[in-house]
Amino acid sequence: MTRTAAPPGTPPRTIRELRLERSGKRRHAPRVEGNPLREGLRLERVPDPHVMVLFGATGDLSHRKVFPALAQLWRTNLLPQDWMLVAVGRRPYDDETFRAEIGASLEQWCRVKLETEEARQFLARIAYHQGDFTDDAAFDRLTARLDEMDREHGTHGNRLFYLATQPSAFPLIVGQLGRCGLDHEVHGGGWRRIVIEKPFGRDYDSARRLNREVGKVFRESQVYRIDHYLGKETVRNLMVFRFGNGIFEPLWNRRYVDHVQITMAESIGVEERGSFYEETGATRDVVQNHLLQLLTLVAMEPPATFEADALRDEKVKVLRAIPVPTRADAAHNVARGQYGPGWVSAQPVAGYREEHEVDPLSETETFLAARFQIDDWRWSGVPFYLRAGKRLPKRATEIAIQFREVPHRLFRDAAVDPEPNLLAIRVQPDEGILLRFGSKVPGLGLDIRTVTMDFTYGSAFSVDSPDAYETLILDVMLGDASLFTRADEVEAAWSIATPIVESWLDAPAPEFPNYAAGTWGPDAAEALIERDGRRWRRI
Amino acid sequence: MTGPAPTASNGALATTPMVGQPILRWSSRTSTIDGIEAELARIWAQAPLTTEGEHGEPERHVAARTSVMNLVVIARRPEIGEHAAAVIQMLAGRHPSRTLIVSSVDPDGPSWVDARIQAHCVLPRADAAETCAELIALSAGGECGRHLSAIVAPLLIHDLPVTLWWPGDPPLAAPAALELLEMSDRLVVDGSAWSGDGLDRLGALARIVADRNLGEGHVAVSDFALLRQSRWREALASSFDRPELRPFLGDIRTITVRYAAHRGAGAGDTNVIKPLYHVAWLATRLGMTVAEPLHPRPGPDDPAELGPPMAATLRAGRRRIPVALVPMESPTPSGTTLAVELTARRRSVDLEIRVTAEAEAVIVRATLDGAELPARRFHAPRRTEVELLAETIESVGRDPVATAALVAAADLGGRG
Repeated sequence: MTRTAAPPGTPPRTIRELRLERSGKRRHAPRVEGNPLREGLRLERVPDPHVMVLFGATGDLSHRKVFPALAQLWRTNLLPQDWMLVAVGRRPYDDETFRAEIGASLEQWCRVKLETEEARQFLARIAYHQGDFTDDAAFDRLTARLDEMDREHGTHGNRLFYLATQPSAFPLIVGQLGRCGLDHEVHGGGWRRIVIEKPFGRDYDSARRLNREVGKVFRESQVYRIDHYLGKETVRNLMVFRFGNGIFEPLWNRRYVDHVQITMAESIGVEERGSFYEETGATRDVVQNHLLQLLTLVAMEPPATFEADALRDEKVKVLRAIPVPTRADAAHNVARGQYGPGWVSAQPVAGYREEHEVDPLSETETFLAARFQIDDWRWSGVPFYLRAGKRLPKRATEIAIQFREVPHRLFRDAAVDPEPNLLAIRVQPDEGILLRFGSKVPGLGLDIRTVTMDFTYGSAFSVDSPDAYETLILDVMLGDASLFTRADEVEAAWSIATPIVESWLDAPAPEFPNYAAGTWGPDAAEALIERDGRRWRRI
Repeated sequence: MTGPAPTASNGALATTPMVGQPILRWSSRTSTIDGIEAELARIWAQAPLTTEGEHGEPERHVAARTSVMNLVVIARRPEIGEHAAAVIQMLAGRHPSRTLIVSSVDPDGPSWVDARIQAHCVLPRADAAETCAELIALSAGGECGRHLSAIVAPLLIHDLPVTLWWPGDPPLAAPAALELLEMSDRLVVDGSAWSGDGLDRLGALARIVADRNLGEGHVAVSDFALLRQSRWREALASSFDRPELRPFLGDIRTITVRYAAHRGAGAGDTNVIKPLYHVAWLATRLGMTVAEPLHPRPGPDDPAELGPPMAATLRAGRRRIPVALVPMESPTPSGTTLAVELTARRRSVDLEIRVTAEAEAVIVRATLDGAELPARRFHAPRRTEVELLAETIESVGRDPVATAALVAAADLGGRG
């Protein structure tokens, strides 16, 4: 069989065609290569020119997190020159009044103050588009406006949709974007990406439904579900720590590790978010997402590459290896709590039920401690204790790997047995790593004292860590999904958290409040771990 | 040995620390190398670094010495040493390390050593252990001061990288310098502070970069003059991030760098390292080679220019790209870059880019086919010596882009 010559303009496919192309005998239209001047600079690749469309632009999250992060990226020259933002909201602003409001809010929320000229240049990139999410005409106008921006600003049809609205509006907006064809990535016509803020669903079923709604319009590779915890420097460094160092990974398994504790303590209460928290509770607010994310990063197998899907495949495997809790499991392995009045940082504080917009008979949990098992070769038999709570004595997030005791007690004459080794990774505040080991007390006797080697990031690296939102927004713009949660990952996490919450519906009303503000949670949490002959680490 | 009498003004200095503020925790003095080692051991045996442990028992935070490197500063004049000490003190706690500031004085007098040993600590947070850095300020007189490597070697923390910071005018080709480089992993200089036009030292630096026999393979070289320009490079690179402008990079027609000079300065008196680095970086990134090194060109063309420009020619394929370094009268320190200008022409369309800088920002102006594009102003403050030193000692390995630019700059300056 003879093969006819490929028509001109067809990309080379056979070895011969590829060889001819490489030797320069077959010419193609020159491709736009990367920018050679970028090599070795802070950012070797900058985002493509694009229009970012921010839904819920007038909301609290946009003001506190999204705009300050964008402003910081802008002032440090990390956004493309041809970048525009269309802020979509229901309130009746025009471009100028909205810019004025954002200008004022940047003053309040930016971690580094913008100079007048910088702020002016940044704000000039923002346009306001008024419209209700149910209004087809508003989305048609938005589509026309985006096309016009492409022509005016050379944004090449690249669009980044950012959903910072109430979760109830997510399906509506996604549906409208689909109706207008704004999801279509036409060849050569630019990319389309969508960022969805947490909470992604409020249980397994709603998360699946939402995934299905989003999946009807966008491909999974276009979807970026934000869990801002994954943008934190220490969380990212956890992977470097585990897989970039040779000495820890061999110990990172059931043979050497006795148990793992993950703590996320907050000293604040629910503040002004009483009505939100009433419907959420600690499990939905932080355990299903942040804590289980930390657990997967500690427990996952080394990915084959550092690419988004390789990483997320490994994280999903961990979540699937956690047995879905039955009602009996939930009763046995979970302790919930709610704070009553107490003292935090030398200040008297109200109990949860006395907080603004909270039901005086509320059964919402402000504290959760749980014991999880990961049924795989690496972790079988090693319990993972997770706890999260509000109005605890201090703000601290930490992962502690408690190693097994030495197999044979050699120093029988020592006054105290050496404590088992411990590796603690502090996520916040004062990000750092601490290693505890035993050391001989100088002298004629053989006394052993526990000492710690404490490494603090702030003391070793002088560069300020970027805010998690800056990291994550830049990653979306660059199309790097490594630090975002995939659909199956969200569902797997909900499949663990949902049965816990649902088990409470049939249980008798809890005896809340069961811990005083400023203490480390209810007695049940202590009992949960002491039953196994262990104790919570004092942080 | 003779010289200043041994002193014993030793001990821990009790001060209440403030979070984030470096404080002097220890100060003592000695006059022998053995004495220095003994003093260093004493710091860690006596300093009040005990904190409460997990269960309330007193616990020692060994963390106080998470040493990451040795920093050796060669200060040929006492004031350079004092300045370096002030800069390093600002780093204490951020870069736990042992710092040796060595100065040799009175080379023809008797041999003596005088060393001040200090520990500067910083409290990262109220309930943490202090993080400390040791500083040894050592003066060596007479014959002893000529053998700096023999003084430095025993005082290094073994197994840790050694960074050699040589402010001022280092005699880079001298045997004593090469001996010190033998034990170093990184050499840090500031090319913009060199005397004269700086070109001869640049040539010596390029030879060090290329020497595979120094240290354990190549010695990495960091030049503050080149590091300082990163904000200019970011701004220039960002001009070509726009896909429609990127192809112009293949059609650069001229490169001009304007730099500050002072009236009355003779030929070869103004340091041209900074302007030269701009051109060298562009040339290496764009695959250009040196066709004709720097030479004086008749001029000036413009009354604002101060004296004749220096010219060179780069080659990209068959095209030759004229380069001009133009001295301009300016109140800023001489040798400072005032503007980097590029012209390019592609398919009869002209592109002109002009980058200038202020203390806090870099400004890019561009015209495409005569039409002005919106100017962009990037917040990028001029970096202090403390920041530059911090960046330098944090960097690991050789930076291939900086190394290539440095070698190309020496070529361009006719010293390659």
